[in-house]
Amino acid sequence: MKIWAEFIKGLWKENPVFRQLMGMCPTLAVTNAAINGLAMGLATLFVLLCSNVIVALIKHLIPDKVRIPSYIIIIATFVTIADLFLAAFFPEIQRVLGLFIPLIVVNCIILGRAEAFASKNNVKFALIDALGMGIGFTWALTLLGIIRELLGMGTVFGLQVMGTNFTPWIIFILPPGAFLTLGVLLGIINTFSNKKTTKTSCH
Amino acid sequence: MNEQRRMILVLSTIAIASGLILAGVFQWTKPKMDEVTQERQKTAILEVLPGAVSYKEVGNNEMVFEGLNGNNQRVGIAFIAEGGGFQGDISMMVGMDVDERKLTGMTVLSHLETPGLGARIEEESFRKQFVEKSVDDPFVASEDIDAITGATISSNAVSNILRESISRIIEDDQLGGSQ
Repeated sequence: MKIWAEFIKGLWKENPVFRQLMGMCPTLAVTNAAINGLAMGLATLFVLLCSNVIVALIKHLIPDKVRIPSYIIIIATFVTIADLFLAAFFPEIQRVLGLFIPLIVVNCIILGRAEAFASKNNVKFALIDALGMGIGFTWALTLLGIIRELLGMGTVFGLQVMGTNFTPWIIFILPPGAFLTLGVLLGIINTFSNKKTTKTSCH
Repeated sequence: MNEQRRMILVLSTIAIASGLILAGVFQWTKPKMDEVTQERQKTAILEVLPGAVSYKEVGNNEMVFEGLNGNNQRVGIAFIAEGGGFQGDISMMVGMDVDERKLTGMTVLSHLETPGLGARIEEESFRKQFVEKSVDDPFVASEDIDAITGATISSNAVSNILRESISRIIEDDQLGGSQ
């Protein structure tokens, strides 16, 4: 079924983090704890859903030459809504993500989906695409967060799992740990997916 | 020309719509956000002043509060201490017993320190070191205070901010001695 295929592609085959390598800034910056990765993923999922739907709805009204600024305004609006909403109702999460929420605006996965998918498909498919990509982004960030938190602090979602004798590898919750973890994960995933991308359209 | 006019029209419409929506959302979330800020401040003040059940602002200074016990007597003062940390400003609520010239508690309101390292200034094991310290104490990190491993700059910053704001508060005549 086409709907199912559009949904599932974001989870694995075209996963934004592991296959498309898009949105690297939040991927590397906020994943020092599992909860931060999950929260960032969900905030991105929300923005992606809203912007994809709106873009698909009004795509015929927007002149081609001003489509990018239009998309950016739409995305920025939803990011600000998400930021205000978190500040009012989930102040603790907003405190942790703080600086990174406004940066969702420039997360290229969101503009990328608006440009590559939502502007060419109807609302239903745009919604499904956003769901798949958003969930794909969320699980990737959560996985990175779990690994880095486990090695860097000995905890997962704040729960002690490594026992008291474990010496935390502090480097894993610092920026280099993000690169190390992502690099190893990408290597593993590339080994398991037989279909290597032979040629990429952009460099 | 027609094309240009349409571009301007569409972009302006989108921008105006966005502005209106954001104004609405802001109106809706503002009271809730103020509540959160108030609540956080209240929790912090009562936390750093054991025995206090309520508080009031001192003078017209929004940074200093007087903690009151059940009989409306002053148990101490709480004040916001701010200064530069490793990556950004650190803001703390500090409780002080004016009569005995000692600190009663410290809690971190906001900071931008490195998660897992400098951010550990929020943890109880670090904060409780400042309790019962005399206000004349120099708070030298790794001498009077155990600094956090891997976060010497953040630990020093906390000590320096405390030392500076305490001396400023003490100099303030409003608080000279008990009333």
